[in-house]
Amino acid sequence: MSSKIISPFNRVEGDLDVEVKFERNKVIDAKIISRLFRGIEIILKGKNPLDALVITPRVCGICGASHLYASASALDMIYNAEVPINAIRLRNVLSMAETCQNDLRHTYFMFLIDVLNNKYHDYANFEEVIRRWAPIQGSSYKECFKWSKKYTEVYAIFGGQWPHGSAIIPGGITADPLPNEIQRAISILLDLKKNYLEKVILGGPINQFLDTVKSYNDLLQWAEDYKEGDLAKILEFGLEANWHKLGYGSGIMLSYGHLPTEEYVGTPSKKYFKPGIYFAKEKEYREFDQRNVLEFVNSSYYTYSKGDQTGLHPFEGETNPNLDEKNKKKYSLTKCFRYKLDGKLIAPEAGALAMLSVTGNPLILDLIDKIGPSVLSRVVARLVRVLIYNELMLQELNNFEFGKPTYKKPSEVKEGMGYGLVEAPRGALGHWVVVKNEKILNYQIVTPTQINMSPEDPLGNKSHMALALIGTEVSDVNNPIEVHHIVRSHDACMVCNVHMLKLI
Amino acid sequence: MKTILWLQGGACGGNTLSFLNAESPDVLEFFSYYDIKLLWHPSLSLETGDKVRELLNNIVNMKINLDIFIFEGTVVLGPNGSGKFNMFAGRPMKDWVNEISKVANYVIAVGDCASFGGVPASDPNPTESTGLQFHKKEKGGFLGKDFRSRKNLPVINIPGCPAHPEWIITTLSMIINDKLTEEDLDEYQRLKIIYNTTTQFGCPRNIYFSYKVALKEFGHREGCLYFDLGCKGSYTRSPCNVILWNKQSSKTRVGTPCFGCTEFDFPTFNFFVTEKNRSGIPKRLPLGVSRGAYTTLSAIARASAPEFLVKPLIKKKEDRGNWLE
Repeated sequence: MSSKIISPFNRVEGDLDVEVKFERNKVIDAKIISRLFRGIEIILKGKNPLDALVITPRVCGICGASHLYASASALDMIYNAEVPINAIRLRNVLSMAETCQNDLRHTYFMFLIDVLNNKYHDYANFEEVIRRWAPIQGSSYKECFKWSKKYTEVYAIFGGQWPHGSAIIPGGITADPLPNEIQRAISILLDLKKNYLEKVILGGPINQFLDTVKSYNDLLQWAEDYKEGDLAKILEFGLEANWHKLGYGSGIMLSYGHLPTEEYVGTPSKKYFKPGIYFAKEKEYREFDQRNVLEFVNSSYYTYSKGDQTGLHPFEGETNPNLDEKNKKKYSLTKCFRYKLDGKLIAPEAGALAMLSVTGNPLILDLIDKIGPSVLSRVVARLVRVLIYNELMLQELNNFEFGKPTYKKPSEVKEGMGYGLVEAPRGALGHWVVVKNEKILNYQIVTPTQINMSPEDPLGNKSHMALALIGTEVSDVNNPIEVHHIVRSHDACMVCNVHMLKLI
Repeated sequence: MKTILWLQGGACGGNTLSFLNAESPDVLEFFSYYDIKLLWHPSLSLETGDKVRELLNNIVNMKINLDIFIFEGTVVLGPNGSGKFNMFAGRPMKDWVNEISKVANYVIAVGDCASFGGVPASDPNPTESTGLQFHKKEKGGFLGKDFRSRKNLPVINIPGCPAHPEWIITTLSMIINDKLTEEDLDEYQRLKIIYNTTTQFGCPRNIYFSYKVALKEFGHREGCLYFDLGCKGSYTRSPCNVILWNKQSSKTRVGTPCFGCTEFDFPTFNFFVTEKNRSGIPKRLPLGVSRGAYTTLSAIARASAPEFLVKPLIKKKEDRGNWLE
């Protein structure tokens, strides 16, 4: 048995170490370790609740709008805010624009450049993928460089700046756009659609793809018909590299749902993407209830006042870092996310694949059925989401009603509790906030990376990511590229792990 | 050929992502025009694990020449000065920063965190974070007030949360062309050409500021955010309304207050509220304006406010905007 620590494990957001144990060339144990703690939840205590709108986007430089959206939604609930439909449309556009830049940048800058690995040098289409995906020089890499930032322009038109805008506030959004600004954003999205998504990613018309590709076979057919698109090349290369057999994991998909569809007071009831839990093997869907979310610290460098074997709901959550190196059971400052279902603790997968399968997207459901939750299906899901979002953003902007309000000032509230649940680029993100005497009494953030990469819970259950790695056969223990693919296919973000750290 | 190494400490990655938004030149063009070799960057480079450690050690041993060391995020000293809240390539990041700063020709702090400590170093500073050469207002920070890089310059600060890509590329291009001298820097070691004006320069709401027409609630184009809604644009040094964000806009243009993120004291908290003294005058006045002058000027300005400014300009039918004061 040999043990290997990959440090730093780069091209994830932030710093990550991965510790894998091999028996011959098979992974028999895995620990995912972040090396950074920034204490955001501690900083928020005692502050004005609205300050969270400025501080929480700074949790993450690539998905700040998701934190902003979650934060504002939690405050909507606390203030019982009425959110006008125009505000919902613009908030949705901000969230989707940010997710699109992330999904593209992650795919090309962080995931795909691993095809340069030694393992693939004698593949038949190696030269072709290098021509496309090599860092700095690759044709598609360059196209992504040029086009992904256009989504940040769409964001800035309504959000002021990207990253780290703070335009979403309880009761709506600070912006009051004129029709020319709506038009400008629509024009950028149409440009992206026609000259990037259809030309480079898809190789064919988006509307045809979304209307007709409903199964894995349809997708293979699409790849046959539109060979020049990167999607076809990813499928072709991925299948040859066995990406469809890598990284199955828990087989349990979790999504909080995303993007309200209509006006609401306090908390939205309907969303474009529905929340829930989907069991891949059993093909079974279950409702999601935030009351069942728990965080444990038995394996984490934290203490709980009620004891470390206790699970706490985020409303009662505590963030007391304690680097007790003598306690050998603790190895990470990731708190452990678990969801209580039928008396059991489950450790699901979060991300684009989870989001689209939970909401019942037929292509993604069939993909999971045929090639499993896998490295390949995750990469495909992320690109499919960009196509869906680009169309949905156009719809939201076309429906914007100039002259109607974008904000309704909520009445002031001295105390209350609220949560905001969204789908960030990396998956289910929740903020839980308790306000007392007009100050933040407790602020707990549970991030998607934490859901995917938790350490063990008191019952010894492993996280989805650990399960995805364990059992993997690597072609070369000294070049475990398969491990890299599995971790990066999840779009790991260690900076958003507000409470993660590990000592060596 | 010039070499650049970019590392992240107590960071969110926002400055990196902001840098990727650069235009004219974009990042790839910039590297090629100026013949820059990016030795390593955590999000962009292929090398991982042992190869990165080897590279860093070669830089520290000066086997590889390092022209520009860019650091993003805070230097994390916690817990108890150990730096173990931010481990990187097997060691506390602070130790890498210390050694690499000694061998680099130029050291650049990109973003408010690396410049002054930013969000992580704010009260109660749970990670014992600090900036490279400042801790908030105080000179010193991690490297000490006397630190000079090999080209005999202090740390060059590019604050902002995040820094705008054009500010970063301008600073880098001046360094590469040997055009940046100590005289180009202000008292906080920021490039004067970027930080010598306030956020208010170019703000479309400036006319409302001039005539003291206040915006009372969010969600409107008209009215100034300074009087009631916490905008710090009149005393924050940044070109956000002159060099627009993402080619499109700025915070104040979309009705979000300026939070002062290019300044040493960011984050100040209580962001959406303008704190006032007993006579109702904002506690913090526009840069360089005395209390007496402000009071006199306000009275005259308010009395002479043109009628069209206290009405909605375009869309609403009311005679007077009830969101304006």
